[in-house]
Amino acid sequence: MSLSTATRAFMLLGECVPCVKQNTSRFRIKRLELDQHLLMYFRKDNYVYAHDPDKKCKTGDIVLLEHLPEKLTKLITHKVKEIVYPLGDVTCPFTQKKVVAGRYRDHVEAVNKVYGKFDTAFDYEKAAERGWLEDKKDFSHAETYQKYHEFENDKQPYAV
Amino acid sequence: MNATNDLTSNVNITFIVTVLEGKVYGIAMNVTRNLTKILTYTGNSARINNITQRNYAFKSDLKIKWVRPAKIPCYKAVVSGDLKPMPEVDFNRYQIEFRNCKGLEDADEIVQRLFKLEFASHKKIVQSYLKDITDSVQRHPFDKGSIESRIARWTGAIRAWQEIMESHPHNKTVKIKVKELIDKRKKHLKYLRRWDYKKFEWLLENLELVYKPHPKEYRWITRKDSLKKLTDKYCRDTVQDKLNEYKLVLQEQQPAFLEEKIRSLEFIRAEQQSCGVEVTVTEEEITNVKKELADLLKERDVSVKDD
Repeated sequence: MSLSTATRAFMLLGECVPCVKQNTSRFRIKRLELDQHLLMYFRKDNYVYAHDPDKKCKTGDIVLLEHLPEKLTKLITHKVKEIVYPLGDVTCPFTQKKVVAGRYRDHVEAVNKVYGKFDTAFDYEKAAERGWLEDKKDFSHAETYQKYHEFENDKQPYAV
Repeated sequence: MNATNDLTSNVNITFIVTVLEGKVYGIAMNVTRNLTKILTYTGNSARINNITQRNYAFKSDLKIKWVRPAKIPCYKAVVSGDLKPMPEVDFNRYQIEFRNCKGLEDADEIVQRLFKLEFASHKKIVQSYLKDITDSVQRHPFDKGSIESRIARWTGAIRAWQEIMESHPHNKTVKIKVKELIDKRKKHLKYLRRWDYKKFEWLLENLELVYKPHPKEYRWITRKDSLKKLTDKYCRDTVQDKLNEYKLVLQEQQPAFLEEKIRSLEFIRAEQQSCGVEVTVTEEEITNVKKELADLLKERDVSVKDD
């Protein structure tokens, strides 16, 4: 399937990337493109903008996108249908259990219980929703850049 | 005659600019040399001057002053993202090996002091700090290998070394160790963020850390590149300012426009009714516009009072 036909596909699976526009999120669509000379597939990324009025999608989420019958603006061609995998909060599709890296959360918790879990240790039930440290301690929702100038009235939180 | 001269000069100017940007210097130089002669007759030389004086490097007329950001050493807390330094040592505590020692409880006061942090080496003090910081995030008493306790331990080590670096900035061994450990911690924070976002945030809050991902690429900072970015920013700001100004002008006209709209709608409705034609303007439409106007005026009153 060539890239142009695939872009017009009815639904797409994309990864959310930082975007400053309001009501809109930007998504990276990963594809494998066949090189006819080498007969090998190579990764090819392209980006789409999708309508997301509440900015539900956060950077890194894997999201299902639906093609809009008409373009909303010059850029926005899709709308967000469903967040399939929120970043760092993945549910196993077979068992419907929460997963951390290669393990189930339940299994890890069971081991902690046997050793005697501390009250101060991290508890998933008490934990706040993702995003409460945004712009305070966690600056990963936006793109960072190297500091190139000292502005007088700008602290440049995203400068490295 | 004057008009035609002006026209030709304008045409020539654009020609030079394109040629200069295309870097065909041989032709451009000849043309510019002749053109200055030609243009002096037209009386437009002042306008042309800055173009004819251009050399190969373009210099902007904008008065943008570039301040090169000061270089911050890699071990500093600003770079590593540590919001808190290593805390003051509490000398009244025992060294970690002797914390639960029953023999010390009824020992002589001088003996007790000898086993406290007051007379301990720096290594022992750091050990005690590492234990404290790890304890604050540990899962269970035997937890040493989980990601949160490892990151906590590294954080403690980094802060202890940062203190050494402050007093001995030329200590290269420690400098290398701190830098490598900071990078390692950042890498593992990146993994943790991907695996378990809630725990990542909790850890940042507990250890007082700031996480900033790496930029797309690292390049050395140059004057040319920075000036380019600053000029872009200047242009964007200028456009935005003008748009904002225009928005204000349009907002000023809003009440007058709405009043006019109400008047015309009422007029159309009355005319249609009197002529016996199909009435296309509903009463509801007019009341909606009136409500909109009232809301607008109310909003303005509030904002004026606030000021």
